[in-house]
Amino acid sequence: MKNLSVKTGILSMAFLTLTAMSCKSETKKTETEDTHAMEASSHENEGHDHATMHGDSDSHERSVEASTEKNAATTPILDAYIQIKNGLVADSKEKAAAGATALLKAFSAFNMSELKGDTHNEYMEILESAKEHAEHIVESTIDHQREHFEGLSTDISDLVTLLGTEKTLYKDFCPMANNNKGGAWLSEVKDIKNPYFGAKMLKCGSVQQQIN
Amino acid sequence: MKLVKIISIILLVVFVGIQFIPTTRNLSKDVSNSDFMVVFDVPKNIESKLKVSCYDCHSNNTYYPWYNKIQPVAWFLEDHINEGKAELNFSTFGEYSKRRQKSKLKSIMSQITDDEMPLESYTLIHSDAKLSKEDKKEVVSWIETLVY
Repeated sequence: MKNLSVKTGILSMAFLTLTAMSCKSETKKTETEDTHAMEASSHENEGHDHATMHGDSDSHERSVEASTEKNAATTPILDAYIQIKNGLVADSKEKAAAGATALLKAFSAFNMSELKGDTHNEYMEILESAKEHAEHIVESTIDHQREHFEGLSTDISDLVTLLGTEKTLYKDFCPMANNNKGGAWLSEVKDIKNPYFGAKMLKCGSVQQQIN
Repeated sequence: MKLVKIISIILLVVFVGIQFIPTTRNLSKDVSNSDFMVVFDVPKNIESKLKVSCYDCHSNNTYYPWYNKIQPVAWFLEDHINEGKAELNFSTFGEYSKRRQKSKLKSIMSQITDDEMPLESYTLIHSDAKLSKEDKKEVVSWIETLVY
């Protein structure tokens, strides 16, 4: 009898520890991205015949005019975005995360009551997506931050197109970012400082467009 | 020895007791119109891979083996599934804006490529959910055709 209860005890303890252990094994990332074949954006843009998502963000049915307005309201958002960008340029996970926290704050402080109709809907979609990226940047490893920064850059760049800015910005593009699919970002300085690679390839990329 | 006996009896009682605490099962019979498989034209081989390897935690329908109905496993699982669905829900994929769909697709690709998903703790128990190198390539390059 004694033996039996000892056995059950051991068994149930083993069971409990086993079940407690199985969660959330934080998987480690390996850094193996140094293999950059210098063929630029090799993605074919041939048509695919089924439902794809080509050029989604700019080919909406919505008719939103690109804004050339000198809008000061977007400045806190853009400043926070640039803070993330500069964090990644400096290979600093912490600085990027701090920028993402600032970005979340800037978004919640943004007054969207002036936005009407399609502009409002478009803004809401950008907001939703940008927030998700920022939340991930707050809590991720730097590789993962950079992945989300790529999506975030699309959102912020679309936001500038939608609402305008008073800042002078440069839209830069690096064909090697995003696993050679290419990635864009906005910068406050004309010199190329690549947030996707940091010190590894600081100069990779070129200015594609100047805003203001 | 007596202490061990007492402790094991207590544990046993607790173990039996918690079995009676109800949990919500993540089971929905209907396939919604916004399900990933409805929204996209998914090839059969990709569909089965996504369903076996991803849908348990990232959809409104989980396949529960018997041991997942036992506490405290069931609790842990419930939590885990809620978290997974908050991040990505294949059952309601069509409800995301196009913008977010695209970014989710990109994240799916990178999570699979970086071996972060499916979670190791999950494939340890569900060996059928494990994706081989070839499987991963296949899934990722198919998703690529949606995004790029």
